[in-house]
Amino acid sequence: MYGWHLKLLRVNLTTKKITTEDVDPKIARDYLGGRGWAIHYLYKEMDPMADALSPENMLIFATGPLTATPAPTGNRYMVITKSPLTGALAHSNSGGEFPTWMKRTGFDMYIFEGKSPEPVYLFVNEDQIELRPAAHLWGKDTHETTDILKGETSQEARVACIGPAGENLALMAAIMNDKHRAAARSGVGAVMGSKNLKAVVAMGNKNPALHNPEGMRNLSVSTSKEVGVDVKKGSNMRIYGTSYVPQVTNTLGILPTRNFLQGTFEHVDKIDGDALKNQYLIRHTPCYRCPLSCGRLTEVPDGPYKGKGEGPEYETISSLGTGCGVSNLAALVKANYLCNEYGMDTITTGMTIAAAMEMYEKGYISEEIIGMPLKFGDHDAMIAMIKLMAYNEGFGKELAQGSYRLAEKYGHPEIAVTTRKQEFPGYDPRGSQGMGLLYATSNKGASHMEGDVAYEEVFGVPVKENPLTTEGKPELVRHFENSFALMDSSGLCVFVAIRYAFNKDRMILPLRVTEMMNLTTGANYTPEEVMIAADRVYTLERMFLMKAGSTEDTLPHRMLHEPLPDGPAKGMVVELDKMLPEFYKLRGWDEKGVPTKEKLIELGLPV
Amino acid sequence: MMIRVKLIANYREALPPEAKNGVVELDVPNGTTVYDAISRFDIPLDDTSVIVLNGLTVDMNTPLVEGDMVTAFSAIAGG
Ligand code: SF4
Repeated sequence: MYGWHLKLLRVNLTTKKITTEDVDPKIARDYLGGRGWAIHYLYKEMDPMADALSPENMLIFATGPLTATPAPTGNRYMVITKSPLTGALAHSNSGGEFPTWMKRTGFDMYIFEGKSPEPVYLFVNEDQIELRPAAHLWGKDTHETTDILKGETSQEARVACIGPAGENLALMAAIMNDKHRAAARSGVGAVMGSKNLKAVVAMGNKNPALHNPEGMRNLSVSTSKEVGVDVKKGSNMRIYGTSYVPQVTNTLGILPTRNFLQGTFEHVDKIDGDALKNQYLIRHTPCYRCPLSCGRLTEVPDGPYKGKGEGPEYETISSLGTGCGVSNLAALVKANYLCNEYGMDTITTGMTIAAAMEMYEKGYISEEIIGMPLKFGDHDAMIAMIKLMAYNEGFGKELAQGSYRLAEKYGHPEIAVTTRKQEFPGYDPRGSQGMGLLYATSNKGASHMEGDVAYEEVFGVPVKENPLTTEGKPELVRHFENSFALMDSSGLCVFVAIRYAFNKDRMILPLRVTEMMNLTTGANYTPEEVMIAADRVYTLERMFLMKAGSTEDTLPHRMLHEPLPDGPAKGMVVELDKMLPEFYKLRGWDEKGVPTKEKLIELGLPV
Repeated sequence: MMIRVKLIANYREALPPEAKNGVVELDVPNGTTVYDAISRFDIPLDDTSVIVLNGLTVDMNTPLVEGDMVTAFSAIAGG
């Protein structure tokens, strides 16, 4: 077989038994790879009602058929598990180098089961597969852990690991790879911590064989050239990464500000991409084989926030920055570094602190409980909270449970801006209606990565949609969700894939991705088949969600009942009722959002 | 009448030196449209550019009124 190795590694952490298994070629084809394969195994083997932090939960690392191929941005992997934050499915995507190195070990996927009685890490160098003691790494941050592990294995190896936040089961813990890249959302790092698995170290030379190497090389070269032309025309991503976006969302009035109390931030010029570029940018840093290269190495050279690392990206600026009302750029950059070092999702971290700030200002939580004043804009208090969360100390214990549980505990659930208990990313859906439908229905709780219709509503990629209207949004959301399921299953990064994945005419078919999948795997997909497979993946994830009991598709109080007070979307709430019934119908789900028997049969899914 | 044009990120290179935080004030004749205002700047108006009026999605031929803000940016990917 080509593209896929059709091999998975199964590691039982309780018994320390490690086995390798072949993957059925029909399953491989029907579920594409990466995220698709993972949900197939999760659904088949795991009780969706299992406690996410118990040994019964499965933790899956999955690469796609295009990972480690010449495909530009073919450098991704997915972490799939049941989320302790949401109780729903978690699937978090990351790039960098680790995913390519993981695939070169000769396995497409690693499945972790059970729980090790003591801290361990997994070392894989092709046929040399070992669980090794990790007591000496426990308590170390992600940067130290990475350096130590490369030192004791090989500088050629690449590392994915958790930091203190994952060890302490903070529900916003991420799995970091290559120090700065994160499979961030939904608490996947806490699942890893609950299994006493500190790190995974991968190396090897088993590049996947390609069905048509020459064709793949040619297509990759021409695609890279196209991206290069794009980069020249509008080099925002290269120079700014996503840090240019606050100006865009601020203009549209959908920049989450002070826990979504506002949609515009008066100090946006102090923390935008230009401020970052002029003050702290050193150079851009790509993921493996990426012609766009949107990562950026930055440094705060001196002062109390001195440090060096990568980012921040937009989602960090809109959570730890504007979400918390913070306008001190050096402190914001430092907060981002700390989250990477402790291994934390900046979105949930920032928006949980933002919710606590609002509750403090409204008098719902006292200074005594918090241990200090916690006003919007207090960047030093914010940094103090991040540390407490990572180490599960003091008020950090409560923050580490996320904003939903915090707000509920203090009797004000309306403060939490979450769906399925997961914090919103950086697009206020009151001024971006399609995003509202997406957050409400997303199988993993609020997430832009579930099907980012902001591409159209905000960025005009590939077509500009009016963000304030609801017409046509159900179909747009459905299409984007399936498209993201495809990209996440293939091993491509959406930043680039979105540009070459689809036709301009409303992106009906993923011609380029299909071509790449065929040249790589020889599976002879038609574009229609690829989209049906993506629908199959999305629908099976929905079934997992239904069985996990997180069945209500709704939005928090603020989005449905508190109109935006400022900006171009002033006066608006999300008109979810106008979109939801049509969305269910288009998806082939019943009026409660459950996939119908007919739909399951049509997709060849278990009924 | 006075209007304002705001350019974001790399488009800022096309702004005159008096611009502050990416915003420049312009005195334009009545009847000036969104398109007219943005065409004064050396930025590529192709499928990567997004132009909004007071943060809203509008037709490029919409005539401007006193105090309007036209914003343009180039997007090849999101956040
Ligand atoms: S576009 Fe950015 S995130 Fe995506 S692969 Fe390239 S460098 Fe990595």
